[in-house]
Amino acid sequence: MQVDFHGREITVKLVYYGPALSGKTTNLQAIHQLVTAETAGRLMTLETRDDRTLFFDLLPLTFSGGKNLQVRFKLFTVPGQVMHNATRRLVLQGADGTAFIADSQKTETKANQQAFLNMRENLSENGIDPDSHPVVIQFNKRDLPGVRTDAEIDRMASKGREPVFKAVAIRGVGVIETFLGLTELTWRHLEAKHQLHEKFGLEPEEFLSTVRERLGIGRAAE
Amino acid sequence: MTAPSTEAAGFDIALGDIADLSEVVDREALRDICRSFFDLFNLSVRIYAADDTLLASVSEPAELYTYLQKFPKGRKVVSETVDQVKRTRPTDSSVLRHQTIMGIVYDVVPITYQGRPVGRFVIGPFVPAELEQVPKALVRLDPNLDRLEVRDLLMKLPRVRANTAERITSHLRGVLDLLLFSSHRAHLTSEMHVASVRESYRELAEKTSKLQHAYDRLKELDQLKSNFLATVSHELRTPLTSIIGYSEMLEANIAGELTGEQREFVETIHQKGNQLLGLISSLLDLSKLEQGVMRLTLSDADPKAVIGDLASTFLPHAMKREIAIETACEEGLPTLRVDPLRLKQILSNLAENAIKFSADGGTVRFAARYTDWEDDADGAGAVLMGSSRGAVAFDVVDTGIGMRASELEKIFDAFYQVDGSATREHGGTGLGLSIVKRLVEAHGGNISVTSTYGEGTTFTVTIPEPEE
Repeated sequence: MQVDFHGREITVKLVYYGPALSGKTTNLQAIHQLVTAETAGRLMTLETRDDRTLFFDLLPLTFSGGKNLQVRFKLFTVPGQVMHNATRRLVLQGADGTAFIADSQKTETKANQQAFLNMRENLSENGIDPDSHPVVIQFNKRDLPGVRTDAEIDRMASKGREPVFKAVAIRGVGVIETFLGLTELTWRHLEAKHQLHEKFGLEPEEFLSTVRERLGIGRAAE
Repeated sequence: MTAPSTEAAGFDIALGDIADLSEVVDREALRDICRSFFDLFNLSVRIYAADDTLLASVSEPAELYTYLQKFPKGRKVVSETVDQVKRTRPTDSSVLRHQTIMGIVYDVVPITYQGRPVGRFVIGPFVPAELEQVPKALVRLDPNLDRLEVRDLLMKLPRVRANTAERITSHLRGVLDLLLFSSHRAHLTSEMHVASVRESYRELAEKTSKLQHAYDRLKELDQLKSNFLATVSHELRTPLTSIIGYSEMLEANIAGELTGEQREFVETIHQKGNQLLGLISSLLDLSKLEQGVMRLTLSDADPKAVIGDLASTFLPHAMKREIAIETACEEGLPTLRVDPLRLKQILSNLAENAIKFSADGGTVRFAARYTDWEDDADGAGAVLMGSSRGAVAFDVVDTGIGMRASELEKIFDAFYQVDGSATREHGGTGLGLSIVKRLVEAHGGNISVTSTYGEGTTFTVTIPEPEE
C-alpha cells in the first residue's frame, strides 16, 4: 500500500498470480469489461517472451463527508511461464493482496502446487510474510471436462484458511466475486495493520459497499 | 508506510506510476506534435511538464505584441500576460481560459494520466470569433496608439469559435494521451526487462558464489587429505623398515639357524613387508606429485637404451608365461632430458600391466618413435603459438583383455580399477596409472591410451625434446 497523507490518497496493489494459462489475464480482462468505463483506466499489456504482464488502474474512489480520501486500486497479472520468475518477483513487489488463479483440471494439479509454492517463495524474497499476506484462491475453468468436483474442492477448501472461489473467467463467471473477496480480505488486513479507520475515518463496511457501488459491480453481476 | 521492499533490482514496478510527462515522452515527439498541430490550426502551442519545464513549443510571434511593446504601458501589459499565462495552473481536469484586456485569450489545458496531473499545454494567443470590436481598454493603453493599426494586427491573430476551441483542445488531449500511454508502456516494458535481467543475474551470481565456496572448501579438504596421506605413509614406513630389516636378518640366520617351516614364514613376512613398502612408497609419490613437491633429477637419456633396458628387465617375467616381447626403435632419436629413474618407473609400470593383462602365449611390444610435439594450442594461430619441437613417443602394446571406451576416461584416476575383480585376479592397488600420469606430466609430457575391448591396449607416453 502506498499512502499519500498530503494528497489523502491510498493506493492498493492487487496481484493475480498462478501457473501459465490458468486464466489470470482472462480474469483481469473480464474485470476491466465489467466495471463501468469511468472507473477503469486503460488495460496495459507488457509483452515478455511468450507471455505477458497486464495491469490497469481502477480510478480513484473518492470518499467525501469529511473523510476527503481517495482510494485507488492497481491490478496486475504476472507472467506464468516458469522462466519468467524474475519478472514475477518484481511484479509481486509491494503487493497488498494476491488472487491465486488455479486451473481446475486435474492434470494441472502439480502446476498449481508449484506455482503456489513459487508465490510464497517470491513473497518471502520481497520481504512479505506469506503466512499473513492476504490470498484468495480461485478455481478457474469450471466448465472444462476432467476438473475437480465442487464437493472435492469444498472439502479441501475447508481445511485451508484462504477463501476459495470457483470461476469460468472466460464467461465472466466468478470473476467479480473473486475480486471483491480479495478486496475485502486485503482491506481488512490493511485495516488491522494500519488502523485506516482511525486515521481516515473510513469504516471497512462503508469502504466495501462503496467499492461495489462505484465500480458498478452490483449492476454488472445481475 | 510500506515502501516497495526489494531494492535489489533498483527499479520500482510496484505501482507503475508516472509523475511527470518528461519521464516517459520524448521531447522530439512532442515538438513534432506541436508542429503538426500548428500547421493544421495555425495556433501556437506550448507543452509544460508538471514542474513547469517547457518541453515543446511551436509559436509565431504575435505582431500585435511587437507593436504594443513600443509603448511603455503596452510593454507592461504584454509581459504581464505572458507571465500570467505561464503561471496559470489548472487545479482539476477542466480547461482554464486566460482572458486579457486586449481581448486575446489563452486556453490552459491540464494533461492528466491515470487520474493524475502530469503537465499542461497552452493554446494561444488567439481571439474568440465572437469578438467584434477592439476592446476599449486596449485602445486606451496609450494616446499615441494607432487605432487602425491595432485593429488590423488584432484581426491578424487566429480567430477561433468557442466550440472549435473545445474540439481542438480535446483532440490534442487525445493525441497526447495516446502518446503517453504508448510511451509509458514502452518505458515500463524496457524497465521491467532490464530489472528482470538484473534480478536473474543477481540470482546466478549468488548461486555461483555458493558453488565457488563449496569448491574452495573441497579443494581445502583435498589438500588436507594429501597431507594426511603423506604423513601417514611416512609414519608407516618407519616401523615397516624394522620389520623388513629384522626379517632379512632372520633369513640370514643371524639369530640362529631356522627350520624349513620357520624360514618359509620369515620369507613370507619379508616378501609381504616389501609389498607393503611398495604400496606406501606409491602413496607417498602420489601425494608428493599432487602437492607438486616431487623433485626430478634430470640427466640425458637415449630412448634406444631405455627400450633395451625395459625389454631385458621384463624378459624373464614374460618367459614364465610364454609371452613374447618385441621391441622396435627408430634410428636417430633425439636424446631426452629426463629423470631416468622416474622414466623407468613409468615404463615399467606400463610394461607390468601389459604382461599382467596379456593371456599366456601373447605378445607385448615396446617401441620408441619420433613424433611432432603437439602443444595445447587448438590450431588458432598455430603458426605463431605452436613450437617446432619434436618428441619421442614410447608405445607399450599388449594383446590383453582391452578396455571399453567408458572405462578409458577413468583409468588415470587414483584408486580406480576397471573391474574390482581384476584386483583380486591380477593384484595391484589402482595407484599405478595415476602416478604414471602425474610423473609423465612432471616431465612436461603426456600419456594417452587407445584400446579395443577384447583385442588389446596401447599406452603411449610422449616426452618432448628439450627446448633449444
